[in-house]
Amino acid sequence: MFKQITNLNGDERYLIFSLLMFLAFFIIVAIMLFRMKKDYAEQMSQMPLEEDSEINKIDTENL
Amino acid sequence: MQIEKFSYDNKIVRNFGIATLVWGITGMTVGLLAAIQLFWPFMNFETQYTTFGRIRPIHTNGVIFAFVGNAIFMSVYYSMQRLLKARMYSDFLSKVHFWGWQSIIVASIITLAMGFTSSHEYAEMEWPIDIAVVVVWVIFGINMFGTIIKRRERHMYVAIWFYIATFVTVAVLYIVNSVQLPVSGWKSYYIYAGVQDALVQWWYGHNAVAFFLTTPFLGMMYYFLPKMANRPIYSYKLSILHFWSLIFIYIWAGPHHLLYTALPEWVQNLGVVFSIMLIAPSWGGMINGLLTLRGAWDKVRSEPMLKFMVVALTCYGMATFEGPMLSLKQVNAIAHFTDWIVAHVHVGALGWNGFMVFGILYWLIPRIYNTTLYSKKLSSIHFWLGTLGILFYAIPLYWAAVVQGLMWKEFTPEGTLKYGNFLTTVLQILPMYMMRAVGGALYLSGVIMMAFNLVKTMKQGQLVANEYAEAMPLEPTIVKEKGVHRRLERKPVLFMVLALIAILIGGMVEMMPTFMISSNVPTIASVKPYTPLEIQGRDIYIREGCMGCHTQMIRPFRSETARYGEYSKAGEYVYDYTYLWGSKRTGPDLHRIGQKYPNKWHYDHMLDPTITSPGSIMPAYPWLLTQDLDYASTPGKIRALTILGVPYTTDYADKSIEDARRQAELIVKDLEANQVKTDSDKEIIALIAYLQRLGTDIKVNADTK
Repeated sequence: MFKQITNLNGDERYLIFSLLMFLAFFIIVAIMLFRMKKDYAEQMSQMPLEEDSEINKIDTENL
Repeated sequence: MQIEKFSYDNKIVRNFGIATLVWGITGMTVGLLAAIQLFWPFMNFETQYTTFGRIRPIHTNGVIFAFVGNAIFMSVYYSMQRLLKARMYSDFLSKVHFWGWQSIIVASIITLAMGFTSSHEYAEMEWPIDIAVVVVWVIFGINMFGTIIKRRERHMYVAIWFYIATFVTVAVLYIVNSVQLPVSGWKSYYIYAGVQDALVQWWYGHNAVAFFLTTPFLGMMYYFLPKMANRPIYSYKLSILHFWSLIFIYIWAGPHHLLYTALPEWVQNLGVVFSIMLIAPSWGGMINGLLTLRGAWDKVRSEPMLKFMVVALTCYGMATFEGPMLSLKQVNAIAHFTDWIVAHVHVGALGWNGFMVFGILYWLIPRIYNTTLYSKKLSSIHFWLGTLGILFYAIPLYWAAVVQGLMWKEFTPEGTLKYGNFLTTVLQILPMYMMRAVGGALYLSGVIMMAFNLVKTMKQGQLVANEYAEAMPLEPTIVKEKGVHRRLERKPVLFMVLALIAILIGGMVEMMPTFMISSNVPTIASVKPYTPLEIQGRDIYIREGCMGCHTQMIRPFRSETARYGEYSKAGEYVYDYTYLWGSKRTGPDLHRIGQKYPNKWHYDHMLDPTITSPGSIMPAYPWLLTQDLDYASTPGKIRALTILGVPYTTDYADKSIEDARRQAELIVKDLEANQVKTDSDKEIIALIAYLQRLGTDIKVNADTK
């Protein structure tokens, strides 16, 4: 299976370049996540549940 | 600072909701018709407006842009107002958006039925409609960003990012894919040809799935699932990781639709690698959704809408695992061009998109009508009908695909094809097609039941058109927040730009080399432009949607070269404005059909396919024998193609009618010699000219530079 991606007569540089770019991108996102405060993440995840009107309050209780 | 009083616009949400129901039933009914046509050709009704080739794009565009599109807008307009604590930016723009979108749908149905098609899959609408789509989409964007700007909530919740990514990517995809040169009011040529056109089309096609059928639905899941389960999303951090990885990786995977074709090999392999990587973020999203229900599984037992959500997420997981598996070359070799792909997309469309829309409708309609659902029991029955429908749809098609895919490749010990006649392999799977139609009918009956249930719900309640709300206005930020992503979440425009960059990188790396480096598309000296009559025939081929069932791409396998002839090369398509490789073989490949049969064979075959191929499920095209060819349009077409780069000599356009008539006379004479009386004005002559030319150029003098 790996022959498909390693044996491309020189064109594998496009592939390697693409993968490296993704790796760099992924690492940046990971660093951001590591540095994110837990209480902030919790606060954000509560957003859809903040009630916005009387109607919704009643109905959520009925669920 | 004082608390502000305002109201949410529920009327626009309701309107999009009703449109979702209406177009859902319409689009699925047309789909059921198409499914029946495949085993009972009578259902084509022998008129051009109802024949499979034109029905198929109405079904695909109908369910994608009409049903799913309206459902997206309904959910976005509902959730965004509440997540941002603000009414939509402009009621007027909301209305223009709503009516603009519905007019586009109606115009698309009419024009596609009339045969005005550009043939790019999932973007078949001709150029005036393309312009309208872009205008309405931009209006939606202005309304969305206007709301974001006047919001009363500093940070944007994950659902909003998915909506932003959807907006910006669909705009880029649709515009790049639709660059075309108009020839007349309802006819145009794409500026791309052959391999490049195929690459653009599948970059679009694949990412339409990603950014129209996936990202908005993930946004909807992140809002509505916590609402329904009454608990926050499992992991907010996972949602960030999954968001950025998904939008970054998805855009690269388009070439997996073109494996083993004439596309440069490194692009194909790039598509494969990124497709495999795509499992990770997709499953990240599915797991995040399913784990949100931890500790709430008792609710799943009693709430049909949560059942819909669980099956939707499961189908998403299956489809996003299956996709990467299908993009492995070894699997693709057998599954491509078969019904496997049809089953695969329907697991996604019926399961993931459909079921999530149903779940949201059942939750949302009672809420904006300030009442409870008319009948929970009916919605439970709908759930089971829908689930059975998906199973009855998908399983027979998987079966059919494996049977047919293996039959195509089977050789006798003597080394000849065991099933040399393509039709034998089609007749073998007709029972599966019938079962698939049963599955579709089950699913549709569930949807009709839901429509009834929701109409009853609306009648027993009253629409809260303007829902009262209050919130503190935003103070200007003075403190600089520490976290990078946290700052990003309050900067919508920067966020959009970053999302745009993330998706552009993949598109550029994928396409630039194929466009810029000439060695990626080797030219063949003997390949010449089409004659004017062949161009006309080609446009009839496009008009009738022949590419819905016939490919023009012979892959380099022994089983394909033995059946169809020499495998297809990139250089053979350089004058193909637009490419017609197709994506499904309900009938055989046609790339080497040229000169294979006499003219009379084609004439009879179009009049009634069962004359030449007993048992054929191909529709008859008798109108081609009686309708007059529009010779007058020829010079305009030749001129347009010259502008696009086809090397016709200067002033050739002026002589093109003459040339076309001369070629037509030759075909008429040949037909006459075979007891067929017709005249050169008929459309069939042009179509025969085109079919007889297909794939013959390299036979003249194969000489690859």
